[in-house]
Amino acid sequence: MQTTGTGTSFRPEEAYAAAAERFFDLMKTFGVSAGTTPDWKALTAPLAAQFERWLQMSQSAAPWFHPAAQGAPGGFGLGAAPAAAFGPLPLGPAALQGGQVPRTFELLGRLAQLQAQLAKHWSEIAGTAAQRFIGRLGTAAAVPTTPQQALKLYELWVKCAEEAYAATVHREDFSRLQAELTNTSAALLDEQRQQAETLVRGFGLPTRSEVDALHRQVKELRQQLAELQAPRAARADTTEASTQAERNTPRKPPRAARKRPAAKRTRAPRPRR
Amino acid sequence: MKAPGTADGAAFAELTLQVSEALARLGAAREVQVGCSLKEAVWSCGKTTLYRYAPLVARSRSRPLLICFALVNRPYVLDLQPERSLVRRLLEAGLDVYLIDWGDPDDADRHIGLEEYIEAHLGGCIRHLRAQRGGERLDLLGVCQGGVLSLCYAALHPDAVANLITLTTPVDFHTPDNLLAKWVRGLDTALLERCGNVPGELLNGLFLALMPLRLTQQKYVRLLTSRPDQRTVEDFVRMEKWIFDSPPQNAAALAQFVRWFYQENRLARDTLAIGNRRVSLQEIRAPLLNLYALEDHIVPASASKALGDYIGSRDYTGCAIATGHIGMYVSRSAGAEVPGRIIPWLAQRS
Repeated sequence: MQTTGTGTSFRPEEAYAAAAERFFDLMKTFGVSAGTTPDWKALTAPLAAQFERWLQMSQSAAPWFHPAAQGAPGGFGLGAAPAAAFGPLPLGPAALQGGQVPRTFELLGRLAQLQAQLAKHWSEIAGTAAQRFIGRLGTAAAVPTTPQQALKLYELWVKCAEEAYAATVHREDFSRLQAELTNTSAALLDEQRQQAETLVRGFGLPTRSEVDALHRQVKELRQQLAELQAPRAARADTTEASTQAERNTPRKPPRAARKRPAAKRTRAPRPRR
Repeated sequence: MKAPGTADGAAFAELTLQVSEALARLGAAREVQVGCSLKEAVWSCGKTTLYRYAPLVARSRSRPLLICFALVNRPYVLDLQPERSLVRRLLEAGLDVYLIDWGDPDDADRHIGLEEYIEAHLGGCIRHLRAQRGGERLDLLGVCQGGVLSLCYAALHPDAVANLITLTTPVDFHTPDNLLAKWVRGLDTALLERCGNVPGELLNGLFLALMPLRLTQQKYVRLLTSRPDQRTVEDFVRMEKWIFDSPPQNAAALAQFVRWFYQENRLARDTLAIGNRRVSLQEIRAPLLNLYALEDHIVPASASKALGDYIGSRDYTGCAIATGHIGMYVSRSAGAEVPGRIIPWLAQRS
């Protein structure tokens, strides 16, 4: 018997502490720490800037391509790997074939362009969120004096920010951009893999393509074996099933052990002809 | 652990204190255990293991109930702790519960496609259980992506499944509120497949990006400022452990899932084929209970609800529950409502 184990990449304290830190930063922006009512309208720009920074930072973690960042808290997003993650291979450019390097740089350039476009979306989301929040708050709002009031303010901020975020990320242009970012990142990874294959081939080591080809062969052989074994397995299954069914069926006791009070036996009347 | 920031205003000082206390409790809860019911491995295929749960009471139903969870998360969320365990509620009702754990695919599994998962792994589990019981049909409970796999299997092998239950299972992937579908529609799945297995962290990142502030900030702030007791904190940490404990996804199956379902919506369009065999939801004749969450941000209710429009079974029950995707497995309200729907529904059907 077993009970369930746990994963290894869980580092909760960092995520909790980071969330707490951002919460207190926000409270300071709202003037909670100073106890003075801020000029709410004037807060639009710093609030937007703060949110934009957070969106950019959150999107920078890309564990698929960045093993060192695996499990890092706060990171989310699809295919938003930083361009720096795709530097030249550590074994040296001399080992690469000439045509591969320009393609890599072309992809790096494209990735940088796409990330710039993404940054524009973050800016737009952050600006809209801040305006929405200040608009709903009204200029006469007082600075929170109790934790409950401060939390109410925070909840309103999250609501406005999520609404602004949803309005942008559901759009067709944003969805296309996300997909293109992932595709470009994947193309870079693929390109680097091809470069690595060129290198390992030089050392007589097996490449991914060769391992894949072997895997396909093994799979085909397994399939052929399964097809050859299928009729025998089907026969065995039928026998097993019927044996099992037989076992599950309550059996009559052996004839010798049955009680047969002959005197009390009655026969069903025969139908009259 | 020390909360960041300094306390000047009274409200700020009080919040700082609350957060410090909660952070200390969170630190103490780090090693909390997840999963509570005893189970035994009874069959395996590759990385996939079929478990049978030890009974808690005398069995009231001989037919086994097989739970098929998603490939993208770990199934122990269904048995997180005694008070939050769908598995335990089912066991307490006398059901004979089995669970498929897909395990951690590694690089050697990168070419395993959906056909193999459905026919060899899920199918292997079902064949094993049926062989143990003289070919008797079983009850199948598919969860999320596991629900999609279950629907495919039930459509391909209608004689194998007596009753089918789907939980937060997407069927129509192109409803307007499906953000995930919008984001992945333009993905180059062939390229994705060439890049190899996808770490679980990447998919997690994708799910968090659907509502980033709520899922990576507000959730923590709410806990930290709510003066939680140690038990509340431990419950919270169990959930966090599950959320961030995602297995890697093998390349072929993930690419196929994205292309066939998210991009081409083959299940709803009735154009799906697995291993050259057409998969039509019309072929599913078994009674079907479809449970879906009204506030689901990963599988919108509209995506699940659509099953009723496509299914061939005449005995279909759709049931909306007022919770979110994960809430469906662990929230206190759904913790009572979900088994409360499943158990009598099964009891009414042979």
